[in-house]
Amino acid sequence: MRDDSARLAGSSPASVKTRRSFDGSFFLMVMLLLTVGVVMVLSASFPRAYYDPGHITGGNAVYYFVRQLVYAVLGLGLMWLASRLPMEFYRRWAFPFLGLTLALLALVPLIGVKANGSRRWLGVGSFTVQPSELAKLAVILCFSVLICRFGEKMKTFRYGILPFLGILGAMVGLLILEPHFSASVILLLLGGAMLFLGGVKLGWFGAALGGLGAGLAVLLTFFPYASSRIVTWRDPFSSSTDEGYQIVQSLYSIGSGGLSGLGLGGSRQKYLYLPEEHNDFIFSVLCEELGFLGAALVLTLFALLILRGYWIALHCRRRFDSLVCAGVTTLLALQVFLNVAVVTNLVPCTGISLPFFSYGGTALLIQLGEMGIVLSASRDLVL
Amino acid sequence: MRVINMKNNRNAGAPAEQEPSRQMLRRTLLLMAVCGVAAFALLLARLTKLQLVDHDFYEQRAIEQQLREAPTAPQRGTIYDTKGRVLAVSASVDNVYLSPAEIQQYGEDRELIARELSRILELDYQDLLDKTGQTGSWYVTVARKVERETADEIRAFKNQYGIRGVRLETDTKRYYPNSSLACHLIGFVGMDNTGLEGIEARYDSALTGSAGRTVRATNAYGTELLFSEYEQFQPGEDGYDIVTTLDAAIQYMIEKHLEQAIADFDIQNGAGAICMDVNTGAILAMVSLDGYDLNAFLDVSDEAQAFIDAADSEEEAQRRLDEARARQWRNKALSDTYEPGSTFKIITLSMALEEGAVTPASSFYCGGSVTVKGRTSPIRCWKSGGHGSQNLTQAVQHSCNAAFVNIGLRVGAERFYDYCEAFGFLERSGDPDANLTAVTGIDLSGESGSIWWSENVFCSERNQSQLAAASFGQTFTITPLQLITAVSACVNGGRLMQPYVVRQMLRPDGSVAWEREPTLVRQVISPETSAQVRGILEQVVGDPKEGTGRNAAVAGYRIGGKTGTSEKVSLEAQTGQKEYIVSFIGFAPADDPQIALLVFLDTPSDKSGIYISGGQMAAPVVGNMLADILPYLGVEPEEDTERESAVVPELTGRELTEAASLLQKEGLRMRTVGEGDTVSAQLPRSGRRIALDSQVILYLGAEPSGETQTVPDLSGMSLEQARDVLAERGLFLRSRSPLGQGDRRTVAYQSVPAGTLLQQGEIVTVTLISADDSILGKY
Repeated sequence: MRDDSARLAGSSPASVKTRRSFDGSFFLMVMLLLTVGVVMVLSASFPRAYYDPGHITGGNAVYYFVRQLVYAVLGLGLMWLASRLPMEFYRRWAFPFLGLTLALLALVPLIGVKANGSRRWLGVGSFTVQPSELAKLAVILCFSVLICRFGEKMKTFRYGILPFLGILGAMVGLLILEPHFSASVILLLLGGAMLFLGGVKLGWFGAALGGLGAGLAVLLTFFPYASSRIVTWRDPFSSSTDEGYQIVQSLYSIGSGGLSGLGLGGSRQKYLYLPEEHNDFIFSVLCEELGFLGAALVLTLFALLILRGYWIALHCRRRFDSLVCAGVTTLLALQVFLNVAVVTNLVPCTGISLPFFSYGGTALLIQLGEMGIVLSASRDLVL
Repeated sequence: MRVINMKNNRNAGAPAEQEPSRQMLRRTLLLMAVCGVAAFALLLARLTKLQLVDHDFYEQRAIEQQLREAPTAPQRGTIYDTKGRVLAVSASVDNVYLSPAEIQQYGEDRELIARELSRILELDYQDLLDKTGQTGSWYVTVARKVERETADEIRAFKNQYGIRGVRLETDTKRYYPNSSLACHLIGFVGMDNTGLEGIEARYDSALTGSAGRTVRATNAYGTELLFSEYEQFQPGEDGYDIVTTLDAAIQYMIEKHLEQAIADFDIQNGAGAICMDVNTGAILAMVSLDGYDLNAFLDVSDEAQAFIDAADSEEEAQRRLDEARARQWRNKALSDTYEPGSTFKIITLSMALEEGAVTPASSFYCGGSVTVKGRTSPIRCWKSGGHGSQNLTQAVQHSCNAAFVNIGLRVGAERFYDYCEAFGFLERSGDPDANLTAVTGIDLSGESGSIWWSENVFCSERNQSQLAAASFGQTFTITPLQLITAVSACVNGGRLMQPYVVRQMLRPDGSVAWEREPTLVRQVISPETSAQVRGILEQVVGDPKEGTGRNAAVAGYRIGGKTGTSEKVSLEAQTGQKEYIVSFIGFAPADDPQIALLVFLDTPSDKSGIYISGGQMAAPVVGNMLADILPYLGVEPEEDTERESAVVPELTGRELTEAASLLQKEGLRMRTVGEGDTVSAQLPRSGRRIALDSQVILYLGAEPSGETQTVPDLSGMSLEQARDVLAERGLFLRSRSPLGQGDRRTVAYQSVPAGTLLQQGEIVTVTLISADDSILGKY
């Protein structure tokens, strides 16, 4: 942090130097988390894969693990590629990417693959992609471009709010059609964070907060599905056999892990008690198997990665790079925080995957791609 | 300065190339603090709460749902007779059930399942098909307690088609290898393996053992976890094996003769018998007829079934079925009470001798009736002309009621009552106006209690009719078990023993877990008095002239006993019907008793043509039983009293003349087959005992043809007639009854029924009873 304060105060030219290689510690932490994540997929998924209640795996216990491993390798390739591409590339392709994303989002409600009452995926054969993941990256890139372009005008409503709201509105509107509530929340929070960084007046955030509150009130009043979630959140044990089942099982997993856990592979809750155990609730299995110590270690790794991401953002030579790094890091932080908050019942239950851990091919690819973008930016820092 | 640096950049003017503004960096720092530090602090705090503070709560809840507790069924103990023969044993069987939910889940072929199960288990196809369709259930019972082989067939079917919706679970089934033998004593278990009757019920907890538990972690479907070592096994303890005092061989002998008696005497209401070790109180056999097959205890006799089928309505049929079952399960030997009648005179005699109220030298006069204070009509002796003057032994031999009323009065009501309590017939409650009762406390369920007059009624000075009737065993009721227990005390030296049927419990490893010592309740009379009682009772059986019990005599054995013919007084009072229970209680050997044997026949029909009395009906049955039991128990016959029969000597290979002299010495005659001087073969073979004067067949250079002969009906013949009829067929005779019991005796029972094919040289044993019933009284 000493560097930053120096920079804010206007540091001497002697401290300025250009690095050509990407940030090693950021890369190392991504690799560490990815490794632990893939191992956890193996541990968490094998009972479901073995018993195969959904008739997916054919009883192959390593079905999910092998797939996740393949995607992790592909993702690392993508990360390497992304880290090689200059930041200029991302800036240039930001809006075409946004257009593609919006088009895909528009397609989802029409031809998307339906699962659990929602259409969230676009599929070609066994390859499916979740456009909402792309939308998050599109928001980061486009907002960064626009913030750089508008500069001081960000303080005005016309430039600082309106175009951004337009983009977000279009995206959220399409997501609501799926419906995909959790992705909408993340997009809004992410967009808000970007605008905050972009220099929007703080008063707007107060207004947004008020608006959000009003929106929530409307949502809870008119969508019983949402309000029952609140009830479940406040007292999951009251409905432990239906709505609260998932969260109760998650709490059992986490709580029974104790200080040191049942040991890697030792989870009992993953034996078909805990739904989505290799997916959104993989952290619960981690807590059960590795205990508080293991969970805290993983969270610390995430925190360090996030701090390092912001550190890179603070040291970027260019404004666009800085905004993209901060955006990607914030997205990562949001996902981690919300996922862990959900599985620990800190916030109402909703489907948010844990980066690098949750089973899911395209999400992992995109997340690693985003890490690659940060690594790309880290090649040109002011230190 | 960044500004200077920027100027060096290629696109210094483009907005994206500008360096981040100060505000942007400040806000990034703020976001960094919130997202990188505060958020994680919050998450760690939450994890601390869940994993460290509330750990126990969640762990407890998790374990509750993860663990399945499976009770492990302990093996039910085996029941043995006293010689180690198996009376009841458990074997593994399987229950078959369906899991329709899984049939649906795995898309299994319902019709295939129903068809195959219907074939293997012989069940209705449509019913099974319906059961496979109850998709909401995980457990639908199809068949219970299926034998191993059938279960294996189902396993093969499951494996062949990979069926998961058909399941088997282990259960146990109780087998009774001897079917109906000792059914009332052994009892049976219900579907849930709980003992419901007899020893099975009384010793249920010992036989059951304690269930173990297997606690294992399971997945949400209740099946086992992979790779999980979490399995806790709390071993249960298998039930104890139980060794009874019952001797299956004796039980069989008694049941066989009792069934014969029911047929011979046309017994209307069943019969019972108890055989007791007089010195310990151990029950060697206990019979109640009609019995039932323990392996099918719900099935009733054909006769009862026909009666049930004839019922007008379902309810009536059910009621009749319940009644028939209750009747066949009832152990008459300890659940039914009756007025013992003259057999009770043993008790009166014992107390009178003990108290010195009478002596063997006392004399009694019977004029045919006796008047009693408090009774309007005099009590009649069964012999209307009266027995005249008798000594004590004669009074017992004659079973003279008048004499016993006299004896009872000499004892006095108070002392009589005291002795009845001492013999275990009643138990004082402290209320002299209460009717009293008592049980022996045998280790079997279902024992009924006696019913006695209250002390004030019995001991009334003005009314001695209760005492008078009680002296010859009427106007109170007791169980057969109480009677034999008390009589055993009278003859075993005066010790009242508590009867029991279980003598040992064995752990599964065979070691003795518990052993019963015979329980002495109290010394009731002195050994000297007991010896006197034995002597007198031996005369009842052994005296061929005056003994009412002479038909119970067995050649070569000293037997004591007493007849009884009790009228069902209360039944007569209610319905005017005269019904009797005839009984006989015997013990042997008379000088040193080992066993006592009580037989009672409930309501003989007068159609049998035999005079209804204990002496004519029950006594020969007891004799037949003892003739089987005593040799089995190894009681040696006394040779010098065995004058009616002779042992066939070894003659084969001897010279004819030598053989002839040997036979003459034994009191046997001979006839020869073939020509020659040397005996090449003989019938019967040596060592067998046959009646005196029988003709032994000697083969001279020939061999027996080995042909079979039909056994003739000997009943009604004299000993000599029967012997000759048999001899014509190359068969031999032996009399169970001793000689010298008068001339007018005829065959009443033959060991091999008429019509049976028997090989030449075999022996038929007969029981003779006296055709002169002048001394065989009812009382």
